[in-house]
Amino acid sequence: MNNTTVGLLFTGLLLVLVCGGMRVAFAAALVGLLGLITIIGMRSGVEKGFLVGIAMAGTIPHSKSVSYALSILPMFILIGFLAFYAGITDKIFDAARKWVGWLPGGLAVATVFATAGFAAVSGASTATAAVFARVAIPEMLKSGYDRRLAAGVVAAGGTLASLIPPSGLLVIYAIIVEESVAQLLVAGFLPGMVSALIYGGVIVLRAKINPGMGPPVTGFTWSERVRSLPGIVPVLLVIVIIFGGMYFGLATPTEAGALGAFVVLVLAALRGTKLTKFKEALLETSKLTVMIFTIIWGVLLYVRFLGFAGIPEAFTSWIVNLDLPAMAILIAVLLCYMVLGMFMDAIGMLLLTLPIVQPAMLALGFDPIWFGIIVIKMAEICLITPPIGLNCYVVSAVRPDIPVQDVFRGTWPFFVADVVTVAVLVAFPSIVLVLPQTMMQ
Amino acid sequence: MPADDPSRERAAKRLARFEVILVRFENGLNLVAAIAIFFLMLMGVVQIIGRSFFNFPVPGYIDFIEQFVAIIAFLGIAYCQRIGGHVRMDLVITKLPRRMQPSAEALGVGLTLFLITLLIWGSYQHFERAYLLGDSTMDIRLPVWPSKLLVPIALSVLWLRLVVQFAGYVRLARFPDSPPIGIPLTLGSHEHGHGEIERDAGEASVAFPVSPGPGEGHT
Repeated sequence: MNNTTVGLLFTGLLLVLVCGGMRVAFAAALVGLLGLITIIGMRSGVEKGFLVGIAMAGTIPHSKSVSYALSILPMFILIGFLAFYAGITDKIFDAARKWVGWLPGGLAVATVFATAGFAAVSGASTATAAVFARVAIPEMLKSGYDRRLAAGVVAAGGTLASLIPPSGLLVIYAIIVEESVAQLLVAGFLPGMVSALIYGGVIVLRAKINPGMGPPVTGFTWSERVRSLPGIVPVLLVIVIIFGGMYFGLATPTEAGALGAFVVLVLAALRGTKLTKFKEALLETSKLTVMIFTIIWGVLLYVRFLGFAGIPEAFTSWIVNLDLPAMAILIAVLLCYMVLGMFMDAIGMLLLTLPIVQPAMLALGFDPIWFGIIVIKMAEICLITPPIGLNCYVVSAVRPDIPVQDVFRGTWPFFVADVVTVAVLVAFPSIVLVLPQTMMQ
Repeated sequence: MPADDPSRERAAKRLARFEVILVRFENGLNLVAAIAIFFLMLMGVVQIIGRSFFNFPVPGYIDFIEQFVAIIAFLGIAYCQRIGGHVRMDLVITKLPRRMQPSAEALGVGLTLFLITLLIWGSYQHFERAYLLGDSTMDIRLPVWPSKLLVPIALSVLWLRLVVQFAGYVRLARFPDSPPIGIPLTLGSHEHGHGEIERDAGEASVAFPVSPGPGEGHT
């Protein structure tokens, strides 16, 4: 039995364990450990394989977690929790409503822009959807908006959080494929904006065809509009700190994240947030952080084994030797992610597949930063597609009067918009690459 | 078997009592990690202000942060396992007949227990080497063994949690009608959304389930 066979067999075992409901982090680590023991054992005997395998695996949790790059994760997660208490949501929606409410489907367009703004202080799609289900849906229903449109736009708008920095998923991608965290975060900014614009375009188009679906909301004076602007200052501040800090090379991502978290914390404190809320936010942050760290080192243990088994090289050479244009392979890979994402959550899916897929895509000549943004966009699409499009469940949970089937029916136009967005990003890679290429390192 | 079998009752009580102690310990460790996150933020602010305005960066900032991250990365691991916070795919397991679910869960937890046992051993060796050789960081020569020691310690607490869960699932597999002890509540994936909002779900196998609501996972 050669190493590649061992690699494939154990990968099959991993699939069984993950489908069987074992925690992904531990399933990956277990398969990695057993795989290392097997491969070393085949070379140097059972006892040596056992001892060396365990010693090698024992170094990984520490060596893979204790890194400066990863220290950004708790900062980003903390910002997301505190942003809610800083009262950013209501004000940003209010401002968006006053400025773009006059468009056909204006309140839905306002929701998209408000979620995009909130995405600048939150790295989590589901949280963004949950928050705006409370803020935006009641307003839209009051103005006679179609229920499915109202629910769908919130579910879809939530997905913007994973592209617009701070984004937890982009950090995880950067760590796994060993690219610059700062470059990836900066790269997500424009594609996030393009996504938001395409969402907005889709809404306007549909409301034009069927005006009953989302009537415009008019009657705001210019002075009302201008007076709504101070409400978005906190968001602009966080964008300046995190995006500006990284783009102009003034701060490392961790420093920018820390300062961003601190500013949001001060804003929340100024609004009279209770101390117990801060404690809760920190405890929740800690729980999520440890979850992400665990799956990172768990999967990297499996990746160490894959490296020993030579699987990434084997897969890459197989892909490169396929007699197919690179673009066809890219499309096939993206379709695979779309299907996979229907059954797995984004973190697990990306961590388990990227170590094998990403080197192959690099070998085909795709840019690693660009591919990262495309893959994250694919993972986000899966949040609004059945059967387990999480954002739709979140919206339906906040609004029990809107059944989840209706939310799914409301998201299909945004699914189309997402496919268009991916096509645009594939056709014009510079939308992704212009900012990271011009940023100061 | 009658539900009021006294020896079974006693065993259940012992398990529950042990769990109470473990819960306190896990909460304590998670609190330490949470405080560490707060300090991580403060250190970042001090570093940025010191460097930008006083031209005085914190000496060895990166070295220090790297060692500090270990607290955040590991101490909460058992707490997270307790409330079912580690990502998993429960599409299949929640579709199993109700009677079979505890056995399937027990198998998964048992395999994890086996893994963690070996990793405690391996990570302890990793610590021991650093301690005996006196390894230190590049810049300001911080010793690295304390952060390495955190790994086997945190994994040992996780080990205890896994033992409790294993016992809890085996108990439930043998006596399906007894009240569950020491295991997270399992929800079907159609209920995920609710867990996301109410923060009271045992299972939160979701991507970044950052929800802004208050709440504390239960045991």
